[in-house]
Amino acid sequence: MTTAMIILVLLAGAYAVAVLEGWATNGRFQPAGPVLDAVAMLGRESVVTRSSDRIFFEVGPVLLLISALLAAAVLPLAPGLIITDLATGALFVNAALAYVMVALLMAGWGPDGVYAMVGGWRFLGQLVGYSMLIVMPLTAVAMRAESLFTTRIVESQGAMWNVIFQPMGFILFFLAALAVCFLPPFDLPTAPGELAGGVMAEYTGARLAIMRLARAVLVVTLAVTVTVFYMGGWLGPVLPPWAWTLGKSLLVAAAMLFVGRFIPRIREEHLLQWFWKFGIPLALLNILYVGIVLLVVDS
Amino acid sequence: MLQTIFVGLFGIAAIWFGVVVFTTSSMVRSALALLFSQAAVGAMFLAMQTEFLGVLQIMMMGTEMSIMAIFMVMYMMDPGGLMGMDMTHQKRISQVAGVLGALVVVGIVFLVGWGSIAGSVPPDQQVHGLGIELMERSMLIFETAGITILTAMIATIAVALERRQ
Amino acid sequence: MATLIVALIVGAILFGVGLYGSLSQTNLVMIMMGVELILAGAMVNLVAFWRFLHPEAYSGQMFVLIVMTVMALEMAVGFGVGTARFRYKGSVEMEEARDLKG
Repeated sequence: MTTAMIILVLLAGAYAVAVLEGWATNGRFQPAGPVLDAVAMLGRESVVTRSSDRIFFEVGPVLLLISALLAAAVLPLAPGLIITDLATGALFVNAALAYVMVALLMAGWGPDGVYAMVGGWRFLGQLVGYSMLIVMPLTAVAMRAESLFTTRIVESQGAMWNVIFQPMGFILFFLAALAVCFLPPFDLPTAPGELAGGVMAEYTGARLAIMRLARAVLVVTLAVTVTVFYMGGWLGPVLPPWAWTLGKSLLVAAAMLFVGRFIPRIREEHLLQWFWKFGIPLALLNILYVGIVLLVVDS
Repeated sequence: MLQTIFVGLFGIAAIWFGVVVFTTSSMVRSALALLFSQAAVGAMFLAMQTEFLGVLQIMMMGTEMSIMAIFMVMYMMDPGGLMGMDMTHQKRISQVAGVLGALVVVGIVFLVGWGSIAGSVPPDQQVHGLGIELMERSMLIFETAGITILTAMIATIAVALERRQ
Repeated sequence: MATLIVALIVGAILFGVGLYGSLSQTNLVMIMMGVELILAGAMVNLVAFWRFLHPEAYSGQMFVLIVMTVMALEMAVGFGVGTARFRYKGSVEMEEARDLKG
């Protein structure tokens, strides 16, 4: 029951994200756009490239969807509205997101196309950049909650949301979240206009539909993740808890989608440089700062 | 009972993917087969109620083995496996060694009396227990691991740097 | 009891497969894959021992953490050596690595 409800919510969120993404990239607001796109894509021929690695080609998009759903499984939408409340929830989110990269690697290697392969390997480099910026801010969040349970992390933000308590961690995590779901300033694996779609270049028809859906679900999952870890999750006055989570997540998703409109795409080596030379020291400083505040100021 | 079945299933998956690593000729497939073998080992940990280590294993191997894949593509002569090159030597000896090694260990498993089996541990208690262990009794060992990582980082960079004139 | 035995047998077979791989492959990267499988077998055994024999001693889990660190380090150092060798000799085939042979 809970599982079905959460998956329905995720799909609805994915639809909203697809509408928003269309709005952010084309500048036209079309509420029916995703349905038309989906119908068109399902009607099209599903081409398989010559001498492709068939297993990877088929598994890639599905694995992308599965990893996004697995990450969503440990995120609470409201008290009790969670698929499994793991004792290692915050770590599990990270573990599931690592497989986003594996999925893109498969989708890049599978079709035996140049652009796709460049895109896939690029995302591996991108992972080397962003993965530390997911783990380290999460460490600071878990330090404050004194637990890895995602529900307890939300409860720990009763007095003050983490976005105010540790703004630096929030910014770093937000940027890393953008990089995970390869949204515009960090859309190196797809890079429209430069790689002609990258990992998505060789996919057509139903497979492309799955891939687009998986990407939209991934954006929703990361928006919910940011909400749960930094924006106080379901906490808020008057409205019911689930409404708060959904509202905040939609806002975060909209922010994630619209940020890219104003920033040019970053080159791979600049991305690595900035994430490693500035991101990681800042993340370590953030851990230090949170530790000092928790141990010295609060006690 | 259910636990045994799950441990066995994930174990079979781990072994099967482990065999695929050395039988497939495509190098990317080989690296990703190792990834799924290690992920199956992580799932075995989860089935044995060792939640933290299981999740950690699944997370770390996902990244580690993908990085292995790019090194395979870089350094192998035939990464796509389309030319059918044979990349093995001393096949007979290795097969004998592998089978003998496995048999000897299995023999030991059946010969030893394992004593009584302990009850289960709730996972949330585990994370706490492991943290206390890391910060109290085993702290020095944990620090050693950190120093080892630092040494390895320096050594790796020193070895791999291009020599300048 | 049965679960412990099953886990230990899986560990043993993983060890065997890894041993075969690391002995039979000629390429450095493939040899490292064999070593990783051997270490995975060791980790399965360690977790099984911790869970079924001494769940109160968390040093068992600690040991697994150290093995994981060793796996990562082995890979990093191996690739460092591989990179250096590839740069000077143009391959990482271990059949050709006879420089230190007397």
